[in-house]
Amino acid sequence: MHDLDSQPRVRPFLRPAEQVMELERLGSLHASRLSFVRSLVRQMARQRWQVSCSRFDLDDNGHGTAIYRVQTPHGRYHEVIFSQPLSDEARSDRVIAEAWDVTFGLVEGDVDESLLEQMAANVPLQEAGRQHPRLLVLSRANRSLRNFSHFTQALAEGRQPDPTWLTKVGYLYRTTAVYGNGKFGIADFARLQDSPDFKRPFSAQMLAVYLLRHFSIAQVEHIAQVQAPQAAVTMDPELRRYLGIGNSTGLGMAPFLINHPKLIQQWVHCREQALGLAIDQPPCEADRARLIELTRRALAHLEQTVTENVEQGERNAATVAALPEVVTWLEQVPLDPDMWQQLMAWGERTLPLEAQELINTLLIELYPLQVDALEDHMGADERMELVPDMALVRLKQLIETHYDWALAEDYDAPEACYWFWYRSAEKEEPRLGVRYTEPGQEKEMPLAMAPRVRKAHETLSRFLEDNPRALVVEFLMANPRHKEIVRRIQAMADTPYGEIRANLWHRDMKPMHLLRTKLSFFGASRFDPKSDRWVRITLFQGAPLVEELNAEPSNLADFDDWSFPLEPRVNGMPMTDELAVQQG
Amino acid sequence: MKVSYNELQGLCRKAFSGMEFEEGEAADAADMVAWMQCHGLEGLNALGRGLDHLLREDPNQLTSILYNDGDLAVLDGHGQSVLRASSLAVELGFAKARARGLAIIKIRRCHNRQLIMGYLSRLAGRGMNVTAFWRNAQMPLTEQVVGFRANSTVPEIRVYAVHEVPEENEPNDGITLILANHVDLLPAMRSDYHYEVLARQSESDLLACRERAFAEGIEVDDALWQRLKTLATRILVEASDASRDGAGAGTRDND
Repeated sequence: MHDLDSQPRVRPFLRPAEQVMELERLGSLHASRLSFVRSLVRQMARQRWQVSCSRFDLDDNGHGTAIYRVQTPHGRYHEVIFSQPLSDEARSDRVIAEAWDVTFGLVEGDVDESLLEQMAANVPLQEAGRQHPRLLVLSRANRSLRNFSHFTQALAEGRQPDPTWLTKVGYLYRTTAVYGNGKFGIADFARLQDSPDFKRPFSAQMLAVYLLRHFSIAQVEHIAQVQAPQAAVTMDPELRRYLGIGNSTGLGMAPFLINHPKLIQQWVHCREQALGLAIDQPPCEADRARLIELTRRALAHLEQTVTENVEQGERNAATVAALPEVVTWLEQVPLDPDMWQQLMAWGERTLPLEAQELINTLLIELYPLQVDALEDHMGADERMELVPDMALVRLKQLIETHYDWALAEDYDAPEACYWFWYRSAEKEEPRLGVRYTEPGQEKEMPLAMAPRVRKAHETLSRFLEDNPRALVVEFLMANPRHKEIVRRIQAMADTPYGEIRANLWHRDMKPMHLLRTKLSFFGASRFDPKSDRWVRITLFQGAPLVEELNAEPSNLADFDDWSFPLEPRVNGMPMTDELAVQQG
Repeated sequence: MKVSYNELQGLCRKAFSGMEFEEGEAADAADMVAWMQCHGLEGLNALGRGLDHLLREDPNQLTSILYNDGDLAVLDGHGQSVLRASSLAVELGFAKARARGLAIIKIRRCHNRQLIMGYLSRLAGRGMNVTAFWRNAQMPLTEQVVGFRANSTVPEIRVYAVHEVPEENEPNDGITLILANHVDLLPAMRSDYHYEVLARQSESDLLACRERAFAEGIEVDDALWQRLKTLATRILVEASDASRDGAGAGTRDND
C-alpha cells in the first residue's frame, strides 16, 4: 500500500469547481482506477484475500442455498445466497418488486445454523424482512433470462457461449438494490468505519456484488452439468472474466448525491487530485505508448457498448469518433515535460465532454504509484455543524463567493421551477413531478439546494439591514427555517467539490447525470439508460476471477489492469458460436 | 423488535418532518432521540411520553428571548418540547461562551427536557464544556445534572433526590445550561444540602451501551415504532399513474 502522507507534499493543479461540478460534466464521468470496484480488487489481491465455497446446495434448476467464505488478514465474512424460482411476470427492476431470482447477504463472522435459519426466513423478503445486525450488506438480483438460458444451453451442449451476448448484456444477474448502512436492521456503517477491510465507502457492497458474480458462473455451470453430465463443459476463463454483474438504478440514487456533500467533495477531490498529479508527470515514451494503448482499448470498448438510448448512443459515437484524433495527437506531439497538460488543454478545446473525461480517466490510469494512495481518502466525516458565532455579514459574503452559481437563477421563472422532487408512498421511492400540474407539491423534498440558498440569502440580507452586527445564531433564532441550509453553507464553503452546481428544479435538468456521477465512482461501465430516469450498468466486467485471486497473483499491476474490457477472442479470432462448436 | 441506529435516526427524522418540523430541526431532533436511545438513555420512551404534546404544538411558535446580554440569556420555550425549541438556544450559549469564555442559558417553560442531552453532545464534540441541570417537581424533588467534558461524546449523569428544599423553590419547568471554553463542569456533590443519589451513569457506562447498540441492534417498542411509521407517511405522496410513469423501470423487466 502506498502512503500518501509519506510522499512529498505536492499541490497539483486542481480544476476549478465551476468546471468540475457542472452537472453535465459530472454526468460524463467514466469509471477510473479510484472507482470502488477497482480499489476493492486491488485491496483483495494486495492483502491475499481468499474466497472458498462452504455450501453449494442447489437443486437441478439451480435453486437452493450457497455460502461463500471470505478470509482476510483481519477477519472472516460469509456471503449467503438464496436462489429461488421466480415467475417471469414477477421479474421487475423496480424497488417495489417483492420477489427476486436470488437474494443474498454478506455476514460479518461465521454463519451457524440458527443464523442461517433466521436469514432464510428474512433475506428473501428483503425490505419486508427483519434483518440480522451481523449482515453488512443486503441485496437481490434478477436473471438476464436470455443470457442465462443461452449460457446454460451452450455449456450443456459442450460448447462455449457466444461472447457477443455479453457484449449486448454483460451479465447473468442484475441487482436492483444493494443495501448497506443499517437498512432493515443490518449493521450500521459506523461498525465498518474502523474496519481495516471495509472502511472505504461502499467496499462491503462491492464485495457482495463480486461474490454474486462468482456464484452466477458456478450456478450456470451446475445447471449445465445436471442437464448433460456427459457433454457439459465449464466456461472458458476469458468468458468468465468478461462476465459482470448488472445493476438497474433509478431516481432513488439521486438524493444520496445531494444529501452527502462532504462525501461527494471527497470523491471528486480525490479524482481531481489524481488527475492533477497525473498531468504534472513528465511523460516518457513508454507512458506515451501506454496511453495510446489504453485509448485504443477504450475506443474498442465503446464501439462494443450497446445502448438503445438515442442520446447516450450519440454521446458514445461522438467519443468513438473523437478518439482516433487523440491517438493521432499522441503520436505526433513532441514529448514535452508538460505534454499531459497540453493534452488536457487541447482536449478541452476540441473534444466532446465524455471524451475529455475519458482521457482524464486514462491519464489517471497511467500513474498508480502517484494516485493509488488516494483510495484510502475517499471516506469523510460527514457531520455538519453550525458556526453560530459567525458574523452574519460574513455568511453573506460566503454565499456570494461560493454559491454565486445558486444566486444567478430566477427561481420564479416557469422553466426554473418546473420540477419538484417528492417521495412516493410506494416504498418511499423518490420521484420527479411537474410543479402546479402533478399532485404532491406540498410535500416536496427539499433536494434542490440552489433555491434554498437564494431564499436564505434574500432573508438574511433583509435581516442585516436592521441588524448589521448580527451573528448567525441571532438570525436563525428569528428565522429557524434556514438553519439547515445555513449549516450546510458554512460546512461546505471551503470544500469546492461538494455541491453539484445545478438547479434541480430546472426543466432542462437531467437526472441521468446525477445517477451516472455516482455510478462512475462505483466503477460502472456500459451505461445503458432506459429513459432519462433509470439506467442499467455493468460492474466487474473484465475483473479478475475468484480463482485468480485465490492463486495470490504476484504481478499486481497486471492483475489490476482490467478497465474497458473487450469481447474475448480465441487465437485472434472472435469466440463465436461456430468457432466454439468447431473446437468442441 | 430490534432496529439499527440508522433506521432509528431515519424514521425519527421522517416522523418529525411529518409533524411539520423544518428539515434541519427534524434532523437535529432525530439525532437527539437516536443518540439517547443508543446510549441506553431511553430516548424513545421520552419521545413516546411527549408525542401527544408534540403533536399539539404550534410549529410556527418561536422560542423568544426574555433577557439577553453578553454572558447570559433567558429564553421562553412556550411549553414546547426541547426537540423543537432548544437547539438554537444551545447554539446561542455556544456563541456566547466562545466570545466570553463562559455563558449561562436558561430556557424557561420547556418540555421533554432530558432529550436535550443529545444536542449537548454535539457541542461537546465541538470542544465546549457543557453542563445542564433541571429539577423535576415530583416528590421528592429530583435534580438531574448532566456534564460533558469538551471533546467527549458522552456525559457524566447524576440524578439526585433533594430532601431539603429551599424555601424560595418554585415549580421548575426549565433548564439551566452552563457552557465554558476551558473549565470542566462535571457533576460533583459539594453542597451542604442533603442529596441522595438516585442514579449515576458514567462516561464508560454510556460508551459500553453504545458499543452494544451498534453490535446487537437497538431494542424498540413495537407500538411506538408503528406510531412513528404512521407519522412518517405524512411526507409521502400517494402513488398515481403520473408517479409510476416517472418511476423508471417497468413492472416486468425480462432481458
